[in-house]
Amino acid sequence: MAGIYVHVPFCKSKCRYCDFTSFPDKITFAESYMACVYREMSMRREDLKDYKFDTLYIGGGTPSVIDESYIAMLVAAARKNFNLASDAEITIEINPGTISVGKITLYEKCGINRYSVGLQSAIDGQLRDLGRTHTLNDFVSCAKLLKGKNFNVDVMIGLKGQSEDDILKTIEVASVFGASHISMYALTPEDGTPIYTDYLNGELPDADEVAAMYETGVKKLKELGFERYEVSNFAKRGFESRHNLNYWRRGEYIGFGVSASSCVNNIRFTNTFDLDEYFKCILSGHLAVIDREEIDKDGQKEEFIMLALRTAEGLNVNRYQSLFGSDFKEEFASTISKMREYVEFSGDNFKIKDRYLFVQNSIIVEFLRLV
Amino acid sequence: MGKKNIRNFCIIAHIDHGKSTLADRLMECTGQVSERDMEAQLLDSMDIERERGITIKLAPVRMFYKADDGEEYELNLIDTPGHVDFTYEVSRSLAACEGAVLIVDATQGVEAQTLANVYLALENNLEILPVINKIDLPSARPEEAKKEIEEVIGLDASYAPLVSAKEGTNIHEVLEDVVKYFPAPSGDRSAPLKALIFDSYYDNYKGVILFVRIVDGEVKSGDRIKTFRSEKVYEVVETGAFSPSLVPKENLSVGEVGYIAASIKTIQEVAVGDTVINADNLAKEPLPGYKKVQSVVFCGIYPLDGSKFNDLKDAIMKLQLNDASLIFEPDSSVALGFGFRCGFLGLLHMEIIQERIEREFGLDIITTAPSVSYKVVKTDGEEIYVDNPSHLPPTSEIEHMEEPIVKADIYSPPEYLGQIMDLCREKRGVFLQMTYLDKSRVRLEYNLPLNEIIFDFFDAVKSRTRGYASFDYEIIGYQKSKLVKMDILLNGEVCDALSMIVHEDSAYPRGRTLCENLKEAIPRQLFEVPVQAAIGGKIIARETVKAMRKDVLAKCYGGDITRKKKLLEKQKEGKKRMRQIGNVEVPSEVFMQILKTNKD
Repeated sequence: MAGIYVHVPFCKSKCRYCDFTSFPDKITFAESYMACVYREMSMRREDLKDYKFDTLYIGGGTPSVIDESYIAMLVAAARKNFNLASDAEITIEINPGTISVGKITLYEKCGINRYSVGLQSAIDGQLRDLGRTHTLNDFVSCAKLLKGKNFNVDVMIGLKGQSEDDILKTIEVASVFGASHISMYALTPEDGTPIYTDYLNGELPDADEVAAMYETGVKKLKELGFERYEVSNFAKRGFESRHNLNYWRRGEYIGFGVSASSCVNNIRFTNTFDLDEYFKCILSGHLAVIDREEIDKDGQKEEFIMLALRTAEGLNVNRYQSLFGSDFKEEFASTISKMREYVEFSGDNFKIKDRYLFVQNSIIVEFLRLV
Repeated sequence: MGKKNIRNFCIIAHIDHGKSTLADRLMECTGQVSERDMEAQLLDSMDIERERGITIKLAPVRMFYKADDGEEYELNLIDTPGHVDFTYEVSRSLAACEGAVLIVDATQGVEAQTLANVYLALENNLEILPVINKIDLPSARPEEAKKEIEEVIGLDASYAPLVSAKEGTNIHEVLEDVVKYFPAPSGDRSAPLKALIFDSYYDNYKGVILFVRIVDGEVKSGDRIKTFRSEKVYEVVETGAFSPSLVPKENLSVGEVGYIAASIKTIQEVAVGDTVINADNLAKEPLPGYKKVQSVVFCGIYPLDGSKFNDLKDAIMKLQLNDASLIFEPDSSVALGFGFRCGFLGLLHMEIIQERIEREFGLDIITTAPSVSYKVVKTDGEEIYVDNPSHLPPTSEIEHMEEPIVKADIYSPPEYLGQIMDLCREKRGVFLQMTYLDKSRVRLEYNLPLNEIIFDFFDAVKSRTRGYASFDYEIIGYQKSKLVKMDILLNGEVCDALSMIVHEDSAYPRGRTLCENLKEAIPRQLFEVPVQAAIGGKIIARETVKAMRKDVLAKCYGGDITRKKKLLEKQKEGKKRMRQIGNVEVPSEVFMQILKTNKD
């Protein structure tokens, strides 16, 4: 399995918690930017000709703010340059309030078959606090357009003034309007974002409160038929995100556009975060990679463990054996024994017990070498 | 240079009255260092000294000065520490001198440590030259400072130079007075060699470097030397002076201060305070040594990584070489494994040693809560001294216990008397007397149990008097007291490294505060950890460290993997500072949390 990621760094406005690369004031560059992305794809074509890709993920930023024809051309460019499976999962991130019938129609036409909607909260006050430009009503209209389609809804916990009831309401709304997948993740106040000052001022719920919100949410999601398959991801059976599963199984992926990351042949690399630099590189016929790291065998093992233990299925020991040629159980016998309270084997899969998934860091670090 | 043109002197003062700055200025004025090379507080060579702005080790320096009388003099200055903990260091440098420059801060006047150091200097028959410093400050009151010196100490201060070491005012006058008032060293050049070791230091290339004052005779490279206490003979490889770095010099002669390197390899072979003599021309009598230093505070030092025991041993032995006041013996703890029980002059001394082990030797260590040495009278009449609570005999074998008592002198402006007296009462102090030194200064004398003041008394005095009061103490003996051993249980298991001996009356509040502090200091684990204080099996306080509920990276997609892994590695790195006790991970600082007895 391998995936393609495309970063669209444009937004209507920057959300207060966002630390992704996005340029709300540069939407006018969208056309030339997308042209560069197509070109970057053709530059990678030769290197990746032996790869078969199963997923394409168009993320951002807000890919739905730019003209839908650019998106259609993007999907076409991906198909033209790479061996993208005919049944590939093709996802686009969309924001309520940036969507129209016309857009959805064209998306469908070009082969997009999965949507990820940034709802975050069903409480308008909280949306305002986050700097989101949409309201609950916008989401409702958007969800109506997506009726019958495969779509995810993002839900945030740990917001200022958020109650457990608010979370229940948000999940219910997402479910009622037909989401097949819900990502519920805790707000992470990153240094440098406006929301970080709220965090410093103690205005955000503390870790215990967030944990309680999470538990409430998990319970509700389960009731509504959403299975947890990764710590922050819940899906109706068969609707798990293949693109994201590929990350957690430590599969290969290639990223295009500013700030996009890739992992090919055990080399991780990242494109420049600077829009001008990206233009200059691509237009002069160069790739825009700024960071490149070769992952050695131990590093690969650690990444594999760290990622696998995020998931509900856990780490498959056979896969470990075939990837690294060693027996996971033997190699980590003492750590497994030390952590036995918190982990379990389920067939050939080694996993963190459900109730400890939300404190997984403390468990995962036991499996890391000391560098 | 003939000994009549040599002056050996030191500078004594209360902490922060400007010793090191004046020393800098004297060196600059004699051209010892050019202004260009001047680095503030030149003699404080340890990083810790510069950072904390204090002097720990005495540092000698040789200066040449052409006096107004037209003659050139060799001035050997020994900078000394000012903190109450380092009295021993001071007494060693005093023994190598004929004179002492006494600095008094024109804004502060006479302080506790001023007095303590003056008494030490008088015991050593030193000539004392008072100097009033910091006259550049707007709040300086030099005339009052002079009056205090005359009234409190009984020295004639009428000729005391008024200086500002910071600005360099009147430094020349100090140098002239040093030459004029301090006597030249006595001693006989033709007599057999006698040199007092007043300090030593370990050099990786040259072995042990002895800091000496030649009292009789002379020494040069090639000489065969030994010390009085040991039979081992060494050949001198190098002699030299301090500038302040080591500068080789053909020989050291009577009256001079300098160093000897003689390929001395191991630490135990030489003792500070011993006398160096010539192996081929034996002097008959040793010089009077120093009074053996008493450790007041004891604590356990353990390597964080149990396999580093030998590295720790090596580090402590090397530190002891130039800090004879540090004593140690091997010890072991159920919770912490093998380590050392160490004795210190005070809490600051303990902190400094701890920091030096970590910085100079790159070792991570755990320090247990400090304790004093208790006298235990057993039912069979035997008397033992116990400084490690976990070595206390069973209660049934104890007839009674005694604790060390100090007489404390506290100097303070009168407006803070109430606060100080409250504090002393809380610390089980017994009031002795109160003396008004003048309108603005009072001396309070108290008897206090040592174990009450080693923890945070000094800080409490400072904070309750906005830094105006100063404090000094001496141990006066042992006194019967109702003492009990308090154990700390983590997750139901006694942690011997956290046990402490406390007075029965303060056991409950102490136990409660301790549990509260530990609750804050122990990070949340995957399971709930009860923290309990117990006396003889009876629980007197309990707190709970709740189980951790959230420890997760919310998102981890393609672009996050490298960063998230770094975060986890950092988290793992943090665990290095933890020690596993039972199944509880405890940060090494926790063992010091016991110190914080209250919130001020």
